Amino acid sequence: MSNPQEINGGAAVAMVGKDCVAIACDLRMGSSALGVSNDFEKIFNYGNVYLGLTGLATDVLTLSDVFKFKTNLYKMREERAIEPQTFANLVSSTLYEKRFGPYFVGPIVAGINSVDNKPFICGFDLIGCIDFAKDFIVSGTASDQLYGMCESLWEPGLEADDLFETISQALLNGLDRDALSGWGAVVYIITKEKVVKRLLKTRQD
Amino acid sequence: MDIVLGITTKDAVIIATSKAAVRGISILKVTDDKTRQLSDNSLMAFTGEAGDTVQFAELIQANARLYSMRNGVDLSPTAISNFTRNELANALRSRKPFQVNVLIAGFDKKTNKSSLNWIDYLAANVSLPYAAHGYASYYTLSLLDRHHKKDMNLEEGLELLKACIAELQKRIPFDFKGVYVKIVDKDGVRDLDDIE
Amino acid sequence: MSLQEALPDSALHSTASSVPIEHRFNPYSDNGGTILGIAGKDFAVLAGDTRNTTGYSINSRYEPKVFHVGDNVVVSANGFAADGNVLVKRLGQQIQWYHYNHNKELKLSSCARLVQHMLYGKRFFPYYVHTILAGLDEDGKGAIYSFDPVGSYEREQCRAGGAAASLIMPFLDNQVNFKNQMDPATNGTEPHPITYLSLEEVLQLVKDAFSSATERHIQVGDGLEILIVTKDGVRTEYSPLKRD
Repeated sequence: MSNPQEINGGAAVAMVGKDCVAIACDLRMGSSALGVSNDFEKIFNYGNVYLGLTGLATDVLTLSDVFKFKTNLYKMREERAIEPQTFANLVSSTLYEKRFGPYFVGPIVAGINSVDNKPFICGFDLIGCIDFAKDFIVSGTASDQLYGMCESLWEPGLEADDLFETISQALLNGLDRDALSGWGAVVYIITKEKVVKRLLKTRQD
Repeated sequence: MDIVLGITTKDAVIIATSKAAVRGISILKVTDDKTRQLSDNSLMAFTGEAGDTVQFAELIQANARLYSMRNGVDLSPTAISNFTRNELANALRSRKPFQVNVLIAGFDKKTNKSSLNWIDYLAANVSLPYAAHGYASYYTLSLLDRHHKKDMNLEEGLELLKACIAELQKRIPFDFKGVYVKIVDKDGVRDLDDIE
Repeated sequence: MSLQEALPDSALHSTASSVPIEHRFNPYSDNGGTILGIAGKDFAVLAGDTRNTTGYSINSRYEPKVFHVGDNVVVSANGFAADGNVLVKRLGQQIQWYHYNHNKELKLSSCARLVQHMLYGKRFFPYYVHTILAGLDEDGKGAIYSFDPVGSYEREQCRAGGAAASLIMPFLDNQVNFKNQMDPATNGTEPHPITYLSLEEVLQLVKDAFSSATERHIQVGDGLEILIVTKDGVRTEYSPLKRD
């Protein structure tokens, strides 16, 4: 594989529900066809914002640290945690800064805005073009499969429990049709009151 | 072509590296040590492009030692791994990247835990219970998947390593001239000479 | 004065003689589209969208690619339309010849083996298609056979092929073979048992699969043609898809 975005494999998906959002990813990190780690989470948390990072593993690690640094600085200056929309623009500008030598990633953002309590999700290409979606965002080597699953399973106004079932089924069945994704999965269900993280039992092939 | 293997046990990490230094069709040396000690309780094993490997390992070694001298404390294995990753990540987008893959074995005396980090030349860093670089991984990971236990003791770990080496000697289509075996634990880094 | 007289001799010949120009003919193109087959207890369906494209152009909004080739066998060869059409036409002719020579129906399993030989016969200049065969087996059960471009094949409960196969296939795993689903009766301790779907359920799944694929894939859309095989013969249903 010469495409940097497909060397390590991995997938992530985010969905909007009724007063809730969900974000999920697989746990595989490989080197082309060889599986290396089954404990490589691709979702990172910055206050009440959740960031999913798929793509080249080294850039996933670099960017997750860069955003930890930038959101910490933001918090010190503003004396409040960063909002999802603000964070989305931070991701966009950070990626565009490297327009001609990009990070090979496919970021997705999910969270609930603490001012208006509205759910927010969005996705990006590797140079920071934002995709504001009202329904769902997919990313990674299983993106085709995830598009097919989400487009057929998702419906508006899902409650937290139903959203969990929907995003889990979408991810699980999408992963099983991608050789470079899988080896475990995690799902975050985010409501205003609480965040629930669940580890999913998946096929191990 | 080089073999680099690492296995964690309950309170130690075992590192095995092939003794042969191969260039093209020739074996230039049969006593090549592909490891460098980074601090009292951490060790780096490396493979990759000929000139880059030792240069890089010794760069990390020197920096780790400098830190120890300046601050009077060693960097933890985790800290060394992250430092190594950073060096590789910065080099990756420079004029000439380091083409080096490493394993970092360590024993953290603060947490009393052994650790093994797998880092490739792209600077993808993962902490693993057992790891290998290059072709050796295709021959040994299945054995390790089957037999490795998280809380196995050193003896059991060495038995597992023996099985891996036996498999490599049986299946790899060239003579890698045996392996050097090193153990990283609370007492530091030590050699284990007699293993077949 | 003509142009040729005005230019020195060397100017006319320089480019032509010094650098040989390479011409290369590409015998294949991609006409997009997607197909989907599902087998039921006593029926089988084979559906395909009716859009035909090259690049970003739509050649036709209604160009059927799922055909009844005789003996209750329906087939579609999706990918490069010229190859697909030829394959389907030749398969129909082979079935006719089988009647003339043996005076009996061709079994679906035999038809599948025939398709394998037709595809492998062009192993070194393949038909650039993903082929799906649908019909009823000797016991009257629904059957789907799917083929790669050079004839490797397998009987399955369901299969998506063509441009949006990667979007539809995981959905089929989930909804037809109940993959990653547990049996609610066992409180989620046992996998969902494999059961046959009714024709109504299957048709609804096919429509959902295609409208989803239409939404996200530019080569899929315009119309959906479903061929339904039962013991009573082959019936066709058409429904529109989005045309954007």
